[in-house]
Amino acid sequence: MTVEIDLTLNGEERTFEAERSDSLLDVLRKNGYTGAKRGCDTGNCGFCTVTVDGESTMSCIEPVATIDGATVETIESLGSQDDLHPVQSAFVDNAALQCGFCIPGMIMRSRDFLEENPDPDREEIRAALSDNLCRCTGYEKILDAVEDAAERMDGDTAVAADGGQPVDDVSCSGCGCGVNDE
Amino acid sequence: MSKPDDAGSSERQHTAAAESEHPMEWDEAPNNRKPASDRQTISEREEKDDARKIVTGESKYTADYAKHFPDLAAGSVLRSDIAHGRVTEIDASAAEEMEGVYAVVTPDSEEVPDKPYTSSGQPYPEPSPWDLHVLRREVNYVGDPIAAVAAVDGDTADRATRAIEVSYEEEEGVFDTAAATNPDAPQIHDPDNIENHQPGADYERNIESHIEGEIGDVAGAFEAAADSDDRIVTETEWELPYQSHCVPEPHTTIAHRDEDARYHLITSTQVPYHTRRQLSHLFDVPIRDIRVSKPRIGAGFGAKQSMLIEPITIALMEAAGRPVKLETTRREQFYALRSRRPARVRMRSVVTDEGDVEALDLSAVTNSGAYGPHGMTVGSSVGSKPLPLYTHAPNIRFEATAVHTNLPVAGAIRGYGAPQGHFALEGHMDEVAHELDMDPLELRARNRIEEGDIDDASGVLSGGEHTRRIRSCGLGECIDRGKEAIGWDEVEQPDEEHLHRACGVALTAQKSGVAGDELGAAHIKMNEDGSFILQTGAVDIGPGADTAMAQIAGEVLGAPPEDVLVQPSDTDVSPFDYGAYASSTTYVTGQAVKKAAEKARTQLLEFAAKLLDEPPETLEARDGAVHAERTGESVTLEEVGYGSIYGDDERAQVMGEASHSTDESPPPFGAQFVDVTVDDRTGEFEIHDLVYAVDCGVAINPDLVEGQIEGALHMSYELAVSSGYSFDEDGTPETLGFRDYGMPTADDQPPIESIIVETHEPTGPFGAKSVAEIPVNGVPPALSNAIRNAVDVRVSDLPITAEKIEAKLDTADEAAD
Repeated sequence: MTVEIDLTLNGEERTFEAERSDSLLDVLRKNGYTGAKRGCDTGNCGFCTVTVDGESTMSCIEPVATIDGATVETIESLGSQDDLHPVQSAFVDNAALQCGFCIPGMIMRSRDFLEENPDPDREEIRAALSDNLCRCTGYEKILDAVEDAAERMDGDTAVAADGGQPVDDVSCSGCGCGVNDE
Repeated sequence: MSKPDDAGSSERQHTAAAESEHPMEWDEAPNNRKPASDRQTISEREEKDDARKIVTGESKYTADYAKHFPDLAAGSVLRSDIAHGRVTEIDASAAEEMEGVYAVVTPDSEEVPDKPYTSSGQPYPEPSPWDLHVLRREVNYVGDPIAAVAAVDGDTADRATRAIEVSYEEEEGVFDTAAATNPDAPQIHDPDNIENHQPGADYERNIESHIEGEIGDVAGAFEAAADSDDRIVTETEWELPYQSHCVPEPHTTIAHRDEDARYHLITSTQVPYHTRRQLSHLFDVPIRDIRVSKPRIGAGFGAKQSMLIEPITIALMEAAGRPVKLETTRREQFYALRSRRPARVRMRSVVTDEGDVEALDLSAVTNSGAYGPHGMTVGSSVGSKPLPLYTHAPNIRFEATAVHTNLPVAGAIRGYGAPQGHFALEGHMDEVAHELDMDPLELRARNRIEEGDIDDASGVLSGGEHTRRIRSCGLGECIDRGKEAIGWDEVEQPDEEHLHRACGVALTAQKSGVAGDELGAAHIKMNEDGSFILQTGAVDIGPGADTAMAQIAGEVLGAPPEDVLVQPSDTDVSPFDYGAYASSTTYVTGQAVKKAAEKARTQLLEFAAKLLDEPPETLEARDGAVHAERTGESVTLEEVGYGSIYGDDERAQVMGEASHSTDESPPPFGAQFVDVTVDDRTGEFEIHDLVYAVDCGVAINPDLVEGQIEGALHMSYELAVSSGYSFDEDGTPETLGFRDYGMPTADDQPPIESIIVETHEPTGPFGAKSVAEIPVNGVPPALSNAIRNAVDVRVSDLPITAEKIEAKLDTADEAAD
């Protein structure tokens, strides 16, 4: 059964058609916001973390029907590759990423946490990130990055120049799959 | 090294043939060995080439390509819910009638191949047995795929899958390797249906393979020790459970036919070329009519060396007549796909009073689960990777038996048997040290492998016939620096009487690719703006291989790494590569990249020579330009690029290509240290620090090397303390998610300190060896050793838990009373 959902998504009023059974993650990904990743569909890994009404939220277990009217921010709302948000640049500069599948969720969680607690110690950061798993880094460089981001944030709330729209895809030369865009 | 006086069982002499076959000197390209001050792009902490895409969410993994296929169907797989038996009936009528269902496939569907294959993702011919079918009537574990559905969306596909009714004729299962090898145990496989070239198979006893080898005379050494009062004999047993890769991105495949009706797969794989070859075999389609594209991969750790869902996706695509995306669930990841194999390992040794190892005997039984991918080869690695640490031991024996049970299928996973072997060997060495009342580091110092050694322990399965020269070994420095960092000599006991603090150590070794069974190839071309496009088949699954390749090419060409664009692996476009496994990429493919870049550099210098009017052999490429030593003049790479393509004289694009294969596989080395405090009332323990020092030759990118260490230590720590999988008495899995499983969170993970010890491996690109797997080997033995040092109990079966420590402390107390 289809329902209409109104969201303030990355600062824009948007209306989406969704199945009643859809999660927020389903709606985001179907509409091109693929920064949030599907890792477990059970709220266990945090790869799908986005910000809903200012709170870090596992979008895979957030029934879309319950958040009609909410304000949602995704990774697409932070910086662009040329103009990174301080949390993003801290992750890049601290080499705090490998496969990257957990990183959009980890960055949203870190951003929300640092807005709440701008000067955390390492143990507080460990606790704050414990709903978001990472398999590649042993968390070590991620903890470094969040410590570094706290220093960089300093009240800075950069917004992407493009307003957080999904990046348009260019078709690949072979078959239209776009696989070689990267 | 001191050796016992009596000659009978002492140090063996290597033959002159081995000495001359593996000379210490290696004919190394003159530019391969650069002091740190001469390096331009290698050894630099270059930003990972996809870092900005990743942090902005723009990096695209397989599932992110769904939007390119407007008529994409979603797939779902029905899997066996019994552990052993036969499917007697599949009633898919209700599923087929559901609205939105495009196709249901079963073992009888014409789109589903009916021939055996292996999922192993190994080179041709695969050592693993061909014992799998795409969909299965004979089911051997809870998780065997039986049918699959393609539907308009994932929910519909899942509902349709659940609507398929399967009837089974159930058989008794067997869930333990000891029970499985009993002649009365249920037989899992009929050898007539399997193509298995592994030695020692005995399917009546559920044995997939058995291998053994010996150097010297181990039985003789034990006999002599029994009659001797200056030798000790030590026997220990070790046990390890299943471990999940916990890959962040679940296995995902999109299959469609392109405009030439060729199969095109976008898939999360570590082995695009092996996948293409196996699909060609299964579907009777020429290799040229299959294209496998690797987008960004959400990590592999060996999980994606296996070809698990690609065949089902193609069958669904053919049946549905439209593109299909099959994305596995996290539950499937835990019970239905691949895991680290459980193992029981027995160690025996003869050591002199002085601490010289005279004999080592390692015997392993590994649990393959229901099928055989990697059974023999992982089994062989249990011994052949760690035993070289003590290659001076004159008598070494090793055997490994791979046994089937009706449990999840084991496969390739980071470490590839080495963690099982290291737990046994390095735990055992500490037990020997305790018996001798000797510092465990002193015992290791007396016996460990060194630079210049001829190692035959890695060839123990060939009876020592296969040997190799150790041309780089920084193990001594690893031990010294790790010891210093952990505070080995300065452990202070806590004030509380019930708390006991101690350090533990374990040495580690691995390989760099599969000796004599690798191929990497590379092609590089120069654009007119002085940038380069580098194509390799190397499969960057997350650790940053593409960046390392750009650094290697940049070092040769005098180009900044960001000017070397590395294209993702695609079988239509990229040169051949065996794939991302066995710690091979930097060592093997990196050398192909270096050679290809050198060929391009020769041409580049010839063009520059014309522009500078100087002989090419006097020119140097660095910092984005070519410099003439004599005149001090230079031309930029951009000028050379334009000149080569648009110049007035002879025009030619600067490009180079090369392959690299090698019989060498130099071991990296490392020392793992753990600092722990144990509460003797409860057995609870706290790890203060995990320190790992590694010799991986020259680190091409220290940030990436540290990333490998830290990530591998996380997995190694998990293997040491997390609980593996649990099953009910019928073999039904009970561990179905990250939290059931206990993957460590940021809050659980002890701090990690990584130390890079530089050596120079002359056979590697700019002196590099591997680093991806080796750090996964050390935490279980080092932690077990630290706890033994702290409270004098030995936990020899993983996971190490407070309950086990407490129980052993209680037993020790009772014995003392």
